Amino acid sequence: MNMAPSVSNNSLGIEKIAIRNVTKQFQADAEERGLALSKINLSIYPNEFVSIVGRSGCGKTTLLNMIAGLLRPSTGDVLVNGEAVKGPGPDRGMVFQNAALFPWLTAVQNIEFGPQSQNMPKNERQLLAQELIELVHLTGFEHKYPRELSGGMGQRVAIARALAVDPDILLMDEPFGALDELTRAEMQDELLRIWEARKKTVVFITHSIFEALYLSDRIIVLSPHPGRIRMEMQVDMPRPRQRSSQRFMEDYEKIHNAIF
Amino acid sequence: MKRSTTPSSDRLTRRWTILAWPDWVIGIASVVALLLLWELAVRLELLSARSFPMPSKLAQTLWTLVTVGFPRGITAWVHVQATVLRILKGYIVGVTLAIPIGLIIGRSTMLEQMARPVITFARSVATISLLPLAVAWFGVGELTRVFLITYAVFWVVLTSVIDGVKQVDPNYIRAAQILGTSPSQIFTRVVLPASLPRIFAGMKVALGLAFLVIVAVEMIGTIEGLGALIQEARTFYRSDASMVGMFFMALFGFALAKGLDLLEKLLLPWATGLEEVER
Repeated sequence: MNMAPSVSNNSLGIEKIAIRNVTKQFQADAEERGLALSKINLSIYPNEFVSIVGRSGCGKTTLLNMIAGLLRPSTGDVLVNGEAVKGPGPDRGMVFQNAALFPWLTAVQNIEFGPQSQNMPKNERQLLAQELIELVHLTGFEHKYPRELSGGMGQRVAIARALAVDPDILLMDEPFGALDELTRAEMQDELLRIWEARKKTVVFITHSIFEALYLSDRIIVLSPHPGRIRMEMQVDMPRPRQRSSQRFMEDYEKIHNAIF
Repeated sequence: MKRSTTPSSDRLTRRWTILAWPDWVIGIASVVALLLLWELAVRLELLSARSFPMPSKLAQTLWTLVTVGFPRGITAWVHVQATVLRILKGYIVGVTLAIPIGLIIGRSTMLEQMARPVITFARSVATISLLPLAVAWFGVGELTRVFLITYAVFWVVLTSVIDGVKQVDPNYIRAAQILGTSPSQIFTRVVLPASLPRIFAGMKVALGLAFLVIVAVEMIGTIEGLGALIQEARTFYRSDASMVGMFFMALFGFALAKGLDLLEKLLLPWATGLEEVER
């Protein structure tokens, strides 16, 4: 079951996301801690699954928020489909660590939120939501409120909500960071299955080297203070990957050494 | 919660039967016991009958109040109606003004900074101390009474609306922005529902305040209303009538608070009954 085609930088020509010389300076202070990211250059290609790993404070989330359009770079450019990002938009979906589901809406209403913002007619919206409920395996939980859902189910809703406006790009900010280990492993497989079904460009932030290795086509390692790219690794192992394989361990060591 | 049916706990409950009674039975039993003790204490002249009229005397007064009225002709129903109507009028006006104003102020940092000292000051003014001023402005009629309730309710609800809006999780707003939601839709579809639980919390506090204020404002210029009844009873050293007035006040205060709870459950099914889910 070889799934994702291995994507290499030169085989897929046009870049989906281009980060050019991006620096992000927050409120300057004496010890230069305000410098979150320094001269980042990164290209991400269509349908590629890219993970960004690094320790806290390395600017991973800042980078993701700039792609999302929630933050602007201090200098440099963030381009999506060749155009500078001016703000958030439905071409880039986002999944937050805490899911950030609207607690006053049921699972299915959360999924319909985006389409409603795009003025999609009600019956179309409902059909779409039903289809997504099936895709993320939440049948039977449509009318539950977020607080009635487990962490894993909440993230399923969050993924479906992000997919509902059919974005090209899925930005994921440590989406499984708060889940227990078993649920986390399950959600990783689910994410790969959904990614296979929907073919999106995924930018995935994580603390976990294992998670990055299990999921990604390519891994970007950031180092903190200021955030810089320390290392890039193409992951060539075929999927589904064996977490205990020799190859997996070797790659783990490489990334671990780059971080520490 | 489901009661346990395992054999071992059955044996336990049989031995301690009283513990297995429903809460409300125990509640009623304790109230009845207290009333009996009270009755006994007065009959044995441990308590003065004048300051602490016996429960049997209170029941009599209650019956007279319902049938004849106190003062004569003004029955319990008239008092209750007058009080509840005043509270509802003042409360509804106060809440209706506070919600939209609070939503606007809460969304703007500048407006919030400008309004904050005014609100802090206005809230610190004890509403009852405004009574002489309100009489000068509006006379001793209904307007003064409703105004003072509105005043008390308005500032409390206003504060809770502003806090509610300011404390909306920024991730909700980001999530909506990313889904391509317009700012006006973010306001109505995110900020408003997200702040409703806090708004309701403020409305509950305000209802309690309205009941505090009503007693004071009914003590002048009217003989109708539970506050007036209590005041009138005081003039005639009728502690029994005073207590019956308090009883009605508590009863309807409780009923209105329950009504508000019910409304909240109806409007915010997602925010209430958290305990049930956690169990």
